[in-house]
Amino acid sequence: MALIELSNLHKIYQETKIPVPAVEGIDLKIEKGEFTAIVGPSGSGKTTLLNMIGGLDQPTEGKIIVDGTDISTYKSDALINFRLHHIGFVFQAYNLIPVLTAKENVEFIMLLQNISKEERENRAKELLEAVGLADRMNSRPSELSGGQQQRVAVARALASHPSFVLADEPTANLDSVTAESLLDLMEDLNGKFKMTFVFSTHDSKVIKRAYRIITLEDGKIKSDETRKVFTEI
Amino acid sequence: MLFLLAWKNIWRNKKRSLIILTAIALGLGCGLFASGAMYGMWDSTINAAINRDLSHIQIHSKKFKKENLIENYIPQGTELKHQIEKINGVKAVAQRIIINGMAASPTSSLGVYIKGIIPDEEKQVTSVASSIKEGKYFEGVGRNPIVIGLELAKKLDLKLHSKIVLSFQGLDGNIVYAAFRVAGLFETESSLFDKSNVFIRQQDLIPLIGAEPITHEIAVRLTTVQVMDQVLNKLRTMYKNLEVETWQQLAPELSVSYETLNFELNIFLGIILFALLFGITNTMLMSVMERIREFGVLMAVGMKRTRIFMLILIETIFLSITGGIIGMVLGASSIWIIAQKGINLSLFSQGLSSYGISSHLFPVLPLEFYPILFLMIVITAMVSAFYPAVKAVRLNPASAIRIY
Repeated sequence: MALIELSNLHKIYQETKIPVPAVEGIDLKIEKGEFTAIVGPSGSGKTTLLNMIGGLDQPTEGKIIVDGTDISTYKSDALINFRLHHIGFVFQAYNLIPVLTAKENVEFIMLLQNISKEERENRAKELLEAVGLADRMNSRPSELSGGQQQRVAVARALASHPSFVLADEPTANLDSVTAESLLDLMEDLNGKFKMTFVFSTHDSKVIKRAYRIITLEDGKIKSDETRKVFTEI
Repeated sequence: MLFLLAWKNIWRNKKRSLIILTAIALGLGCGLFASGAMYGMWDSTINAAINRDLSHIQIHSKKFKKENLIENYIPQGTELKHQIEKINGVKAVAQRIIINGMAASPTSSLGVYIKGIIPDEEKQVTSVASSIKEGKYFEGVGRNPIVIGLELAKKLDLKLHSKIVLSFQGLDGNIVYAAFRVAGLFETESSLFDKSNVFIRQQDLIPLIGAEPITHEIAVRLTTVQVMDQVLNKLRTMYKNLEVETWQQLAPELSVSYETLNFELNIFLGIILFALLFGITNTMLMSVMERIREFGVLMAVGMKRTRIFMLILIETIFLSITGGIIGMVLGASSIWIIAQKGINLSLFSQGLSSYGISSHLFPVLPLEFYPILFLMIVITAMVSAFYPAVKAVRLNPASAIRIY
């Protein structure tokens, strides 16, 4: 069974008198261990699609099955709980909690999962070491560079043992060298831990690295290419 | 970590937090001091009334309470006095003869309560002896000394050593006239008391009324107010045929004012907190609006709405409690510092004395006031947090994370 399975997915915004379709009848399967980029111009529906996969938005029609669970009918609180245990998020603007240190930011997710203090601390240290920030654990986000903050965000996304990581324009705020280094890290984590990454991006650097590229246009899948031969794990 | 996060969040915008903290601290500090001053005023008024003549407990015959007649005395008053003195918690006991009569000087006359006392005994129970402003307490005059209030002396145009004639009904029903000489002039906090009470020695009074020693009133002074109920119950069981009353029953107007004061002061501080509530809400609302994206992220990564609500609630409670504690320390220390010397209100003493209020004000606030205030602050914080917290939990994470 695919890790993420979307069938006949529709999203129509009814905020004005005229209904605006953002996603129209998408069928898609993403397998465990994929390193996939969803691309497309502004207004193509990639953010809406990503929001629905991430359980941040509900479809008007269709099914979203993540890890064998149909989340398309989940209510808001059930979705929050689902996100906490199944999905890791990396945002464009890092979005770390500014008053907490790098380690505390990573620990925070595990705190929400009611994990013991000792286990939280050990995992936070382990993850920050894995993203190359062993020496910056006690630094606050304001004391870190953009690239370092995004690395903390990656560590935070992995802290909850998610089924996959959704990264929304993760390199948009980074210079090219830092962006490449972040992609190296993500690729490394994908290789080492078989962690599934789904990106929404405009960035050619990300597109170049992705194994699978799903291109959206007007809320529909325009193309779905696999660059490298993807082996099922 | 939620508490740590809440505490750290308060100090994100130091200037804003300090402004609201100062408002809370000053508002409460000044409110507490004003409450302390009001409390102190009533406290000293009641203490003055207790010291002046009420004492803690008084005993009368049941008939005397209905009709202030000379024949309504307490049987075996002296024996009772000795019994009461042995009760635990009793500091001193005074027997009084009380007769309604007239005090006349060559120029004028006035109705007064003539109080026949044993001076040394009375000194232990009430403060008339220490309120003497001119002359001495039953000294310096050969025969029939009398101690009267300065106010009465003014009304009757009397001076120290002047002669005063008292007239009253004796036990046999005949009117007695007797001349006394002013040995001392006293002045208490109550001009009414000073105008309407004269004190003479029982040894001078008893032969005049033509009887064996009688007692109309037994005044009991206790070691502390805390034992009052205990002693009262004991006296009531011992003397079922007599009227045993505490100062609260003897002066209900004072007692009611004192009891309602607590309520009034809580309302007063409640109004201050109510005004502060809007300031706190505004501060928290600004803080929430600045963090919309962060709340969106927290919800996106799996923080439940109840926890976000709790976070804002805890932040508001921390902020309010911090201000509240500073305010309480400010208020309590200003009360303590001012209470060392008191505030001299002698400029208004004439007006105050007509209400029996002391012209020297010592602010005081009972300790039980502080936990109530603390609770009120927490409730204010919770009410203040409600709107900003609801605003935060109603955010849609998908759109909130895209707000810059």
